[in-house]
Amino acid sequence: MDEDFDIIVVGAGFGGSVAAKLCADAELKTLMLERSENVGDKVISGLTIPFQGFLFAPAFIRDGNPPFERPADGIVNYIIKDIDKGDIEIDDSLKVPKPLSPIIAFGYNTYCKPFCQWQARKAVEAGVELRTSTTVTNFIKEGEFIKGIITDKGEKIRAKIVINAEGSQGILAIKAGVREKYPPETISLADTYDYVMRKEDIDKIFGYSVKMCWGWDEQKISPPLGYGNGLMVWPYRSSIHFMQDQCLRTDQKSVPNLGKLFDEYHHNITSKMLWWKDLVAPRAKLRARMWEGFEIYVGLNKKLRKMPNHTDGMILIGDAAGLESTELCDGVPAAWYSAEIAAQVAIEAIKANDVSKAFLKKYDNKIKAHSIIQWSIKGRNRYNLRIAQQEHDIKKLKKYIHQGWGLGSLTHFTTPFMKLLLAYVKEDPTIITKWIKMYFRYYQNWLHENYDYVKKKVIKVRASKRVRKKERKFLSTLRFIDLIMKSMLRIRRVLKIIIIPLSNSLNTLMRKSLPIIEPINSAIIKLLNPISNKLSNKMIKFVDKANPSIFYVY
Amino acid sequence: MVKTFEDFPGVQWIEGAGEFIKINDEKCIGCGNCVKVCLAGCFEVMEKKAKIESLEKCMECAACWYVCQEEAIIFSWPPGGTGYKSDWG
Ligand SMILES: Cc1cc2nc3c(=O)[nH]c(=O)nc-3n(C[C@H](O)[C@H](O)[C@H](O)COP(=O)(O)OP(=O)(O)OC[C@H]3O[C@@H](n4cnc5c(N)ncnc54)[C@H](O)[C@@H]3O)c2cc1C
Ligand code: SF4
Ligand code: SF4
Repeated sequence: MDEDFDIIVVGAGFGGSVAAKLCADAELKTLMLERSENVGDKVISGLTIPFQGFLFAPAFIRDGNPPFERPADGIVNYIIKDIDKGDIEIDDSLKVPKPLSPIIAFGYNTYCKPFCQWQARKAVEAGVELRTSTTVTNFIKEGEFIKGIITDKGEKIRAKIVINAEGSQGILAIKAGVREKYPPETISLADTYDYVMRKEDIDKIFGYSVKMCWGWDEQKISPPLGYGNGLMVWPYRSSIHFMQDQCLRTDQKSVPNLGKLFDEYHHNITSKMLWWKDLVAPRAKLRARMWEGFEIYVGLNKKLRKMPNHTDGMILIGDAAGLESTELCDGVPAAWYSAEIAAQVAIEAIKANDVSKAFLKKYDNKIKAHSIIQWSIKGRNRYNLRIAQQEHDIKKLKKYIHQGWGLGSLTHFTTPFMKLLLAYVKEDPTIITKWIKMYFRYYQNWLHENYDYVKKKVIKVRASKRVRKKERKFLSTLRFIDLIMKSMLRIRRVLKIIIIPLSNSLNTLMRKSLPIIEPINSAIIKLLNPISNKLSNKMIKFVDKANPSIFYVY
Repeated sequence: MVKTFEDFPGVQWIEGAGEFIKINDEKCIGCGNCVKVCLAGCFEVMEKKAKIESLEKCMECAACWYVCQEEAIIFSWPPGGTGYKSDWG
């Protein structure tokens, strides 16, 4: 029987629209189905999308103007030893230093709905047919093959390949017999609160930093160590987002009374943590409260990690493929990467007229070879906090926090990051300047609230001579970088022999050198603080006034 | 029709969701796990059997389904365009 579509994508969340757009770009007839009335209505998240997500995102995101709420420069960790006595240590080592920040950001904080809608519009512009208010309830199956989907209205729609981006519950993936229901100890329930606050107050209290709190379990300040994500507060443009979460089951033991516990944590943190009590509470007004589960430890479960993410006629991506990270809870990068890989494999499969399991296995192989996805689903620092708690060992607590959400993350992130970076540079030597432009463009967009489809203010080009001179300098620097990168590629062999093997030992190098580098680094940052501040302000002024076209990628 | 509730600001519920979560009485052992994790208070246990009191504040998080070890909770999504929605997720 003839197919109605080449591709059907289930779910228009962070992963779905990306896969759909890329398929439509390749001129495949693509349908995307979303159960909510409007795209993004049912996507609940944090959310800081970290920089690696954007750097290695599909080009339309990296080179585009997506909407976000505030750039993030890093994390301030509050390690709470005794809240009543005010015995709190701070680890804010994971921060992009000035003058690089805030333009060169650690990540971007965003609401899910506008971001998912931005992606979905890009998909529709590329030719995707989007149907909202449509719940997919099952698949059309012929033998082992998935041949399409069935909607809640009983409609049967056939396609060559289904890309399943249904999110973490994986109801359809279970129905298809590809995956199984995740055990409750791998799932955390996130209780989130959204507060409205004046931008000026947020600038002062938070700046660009995400705050995380970690406390001993008996204080009931934040969820038990290692069984949740502690507690996070994200600064947005003129609102803040608060999240506390806890595993649905503590190991193989009991299911907690979450309603009671969450009320207790929220009450304790908001009444005892001084920056909240004195600074935030008088200025913040609760606007929304929601909750959602996420795959906190799916990646740590070997059996789940090894499950296939494809079958005859179907590929799973993002959370549906169990790709949420186990440490930073940053699932969006993996949703984007897996969406791009799924689209590539689907396009190849359709060209080759082979959508069998055997062909689609390529997808799983590529996911397994993706250094950042694999790094992010295997991180154990958050899990290890349990050990610190059991032994009430402050040293261990500080160590795991430093390694997970401090500069210590370089000891496990550098190799996977550099591997991917080198692969991208090898593919496109001008990528470095695209990244630089991305950072500057994103920051300018943020300053002027100037995103695709929601241009609140039009950026006026009224540059003075001085600004124009700086623009020329900026562009000539970029040209110079491109030139260097292109000529370096001529010595590809050297890269292959020296740099690529070297990147494999970067984590070890970091482990050995960080204890020496870190104190020197923080001393230099402190010493240079006044100059860095000035430089950073100058850069912001330049970005504010510069002609937006110099940051575009054509 | 759209409903809102004071205890969960910023969220709306579009009517027509129906009984998208069901309990299989034969399998339920009345352990109360579903009651413990549901922040919307959708369940109660009476005479050692869980009952759905109301799904009107359900946030479709599936926590109840995850923690039911007896597979007594039959979970599905509400029909397209119904159930909860929010701008602030
Ligand atoms: C509280 C919380 C905090 C988080 N914080 C961060 C963070 O700070 N940084 C980060 O990078 N990630 C974070 N994540 C993870 C991130 O949100 C997810 O990894 C990401 O949304 C996954 O994208 P996805 O496309 O796989 O699924 P989703 O974005 O969940 O999209 C799934 C879509 O499919 C639709 N759908 C589902 N079933 C059907 C069906 N049967 N028929 C039709 N449509 C259907 C849903 O309505 C939804 O729109 C967080 C998650 C949570 C819950
Ligand atoms: S969790 Fe399952 S078995 Fe336990 S009370 Fe609820 S429905 Fe019954
Ligand atoms: S899905 Fe979540 S909110 Fe709805 S009944 Fe289950 S636990 Fe409660």
